[in-house]
Amino acid sequence: MTAALPDWLAPLPWLDQAGSDDARLVEHALRADQPGIREFAALLSPAAGRRLETLARRALALTRRHFGSTISLYAPLYLSNYCPTRCTYCGFAADRRIARHKLTPAELEAELSALKTLSIEEILLLTGDRTAVADYPYVRDCVRLAAARFPNVAVEVFALSADEYRGLSAAGCSAVTLYQETYDPVRYEQTHLSGPKRDYLNRLDAPARALAGGMRAVSLGALLGLGQPLFDLLCLYQHATHLRRAFWKGGVAISFPRLRPEAGGSTADFPVDDNFLAQAIFAFRICLPDVPLTLSTRESPRFRDGMAGLGISKMSVASRTTVGGYDLETLPSGAQFDINDHRGVAAFCAALQAKGLQPVFKNWDAAYREQTVPVSAP
Amino acid sequence: MTDGLKLGDRIFSSRLLLGTGKFSSTDAMIRAVRASGAELVTVALRRFHPGRPVDDVFGPLAALEGVTLVPNTSGARDAREAVRAAQLGRELAGSPFVKLEIHPNPHHLLPDPIETYEAAKILVQDGFFVLPYMPADPVLARRLEEIGCAAVMPLGAAIGSGQGLTTMSMLKLIIHEASVPVIVDAGLRSPSDAALTMEIGGDAVLVNSAIATAEDPELMAGAFAAAVKAGRDAWRAGLMPRSEAAAATSPLTAFLADEGAG
Repeated sequence: MTAALPDWLAPLPWLDQAGSDDARLVEHALRADQPGIREFAALLSPAAGRRLETLARRALALTRRHFGSTISLYAPLYLSNYCPTRCTYCGFAADRRIARHKLTPAELEAELSALKTLSIEEILLLTGDRTAVADYPYVRDCVRLAAARFPNVAVEVFALSADEYRGLSAAGCSAVTLYQETYDPVRYEQTHLSGPKRDYLNRLDAPARALAGGMRAVSLGALLGLGQPLFDLLCLYQHATHLRRAFWKGGVAISFPRLRPEAGGSTADFPVDDNFLAQAIFAFRICLPDVPLTLSTRESPRFRDGMAGLGISKMSVASRTTVGGYDLETLPSGAQFDINDHRGVAAFCAALQAKGLQPVFKNWDAAYREQTVPVSAP
Repeated sequence: MTDGLKLGDRIFSSRLLLGTGKFSSTDAMIRAVRASGAELVTVALRRFHPGRPVDDVFGPLAALEGVTLVPNTSGARDAREAVRAAQLGRELAGSPFVKLEIHPNPHHLLPDPIETYEAAKILVQDGFFVLPYMPADPVLARRLEEIGCAAVMPLGAAIGSGQGLTTMSMLKLIIHEASVPVIVDAGLRSPSDAALTMEIGGDAVLVNSAIATAEDPELMAGAFAAAVKAGRDAWRAGLMPRSEAAAATSPLTAFLADEGAG
């Protein structure tokens, strides 16, 4: 059964405004003291698309004001690619014939060591959807191992219960990344054919459970290209502001994953080009000036270098989307999606520095955790 | 007579404190610190990265002559976290000073008065010279003073907002009543904001974003230093009172002098 969109999420009546060609709405939005959903919609419009340079300048000034001339860096680490869910767009989907693997504790340690030698201090641990092979206890134990060595550990795993999020938080996890993929319940149903992830509302509510469970921050996103972009971006904005109202101590960040060719050969039904992605990032920066905005290595070096500091305040670096992949001893498996920016840490940092941006590896400290005592291997 | 800033058991000649976040490079940050003449420099524990010279902010600052480091607890959500961060900062930096910063909301970063007060009590007992970042609340300022903070650091406006002295009337009350130094922290945009703070009797200012995000941070650091000195000198010299009417430089009643009471 298709889920009903909750009232707080519904993008109407702003959808019309976002499709508008009225330059006056854009002008009003740019002059607003306190831009909100109305202004956000106007800044996504085709009329605003013709003011891209103006939007970029505003985004640059706001990014510099709130985040300075710095870019926070992190690296993803795939723990497991076992997955019971069939997502039409994903290289890990249950029906894909790929090599499956999950990291053993020893392999995880080797991966962590490899990331340490790259100077990485913030890591994002990823899995597929919930399976018996890689369930909550496995993720929690991996978090514990990682947190003993990294000040900042986040997860991008399946939707958990509030109690499970509490457990992860106690194990040393500080943040949760969870994309709704598409906020359109119909498109969601069409692109998630079977498996636990098919439950739209369970996923939608998971970031709130994460914050209720003590996570410091959640990172939201829509997989751009999967649904109607204006609909998804407006809902994403509503989701972020809803969580900020509900959790006054909770951090909310936004990522901009864009559907890319991957191993299964699916393509975007609603392609998002570079110009519109840039426009969407500018609109978020202008309307949510203090929210961290993240761009991953799914994007090309040219686009990443251009957007660094221009709205974007946080970026992944040296990413691998296979299980493990940093330690050469570990056998690589199938990838979730293709990376477009293959530069190593040094090359990427040099590009940031050439733009007058300081790459920041460590911007957190284990002192801010409840438990700072390293825990022995599970 | 020297005009020193007394904090804890130390006396400093500079009244400009510098924050070290947001700079485009460590080199730009170090040059700005030098140009500012600051003797007290805050550094976030979260940016301490021993053994990683590329990323570490602490090491290069520690190597500077004449600079006392003040670890800050930026990132702490509550008193317990702040106390842990302060203790670790002291261990790593070897400084008795701590800038106590507790902002539960990671977006606007406004300080939590209740948690700040609780943490300050513990840290003062633990022997720290506590410099608490706080809302511009005159009552809270006195409460923090009562429990032994070495100074109070009321905000001019939200961190990084560049809105200037939006809390002016409260700052004046705090300054008027304080018997510990008042260091105005956060929100300052321009050297004139810093000069104005000093002219109303503020003891010092702490500046970060306005310098770090300037096109030329080094030049801006020098501009702030000059403004702080000018404002302090003006306060010591005694500003003339504001007046509704013009004041003649030659007395209008001079002709009465001969027959006046003398």
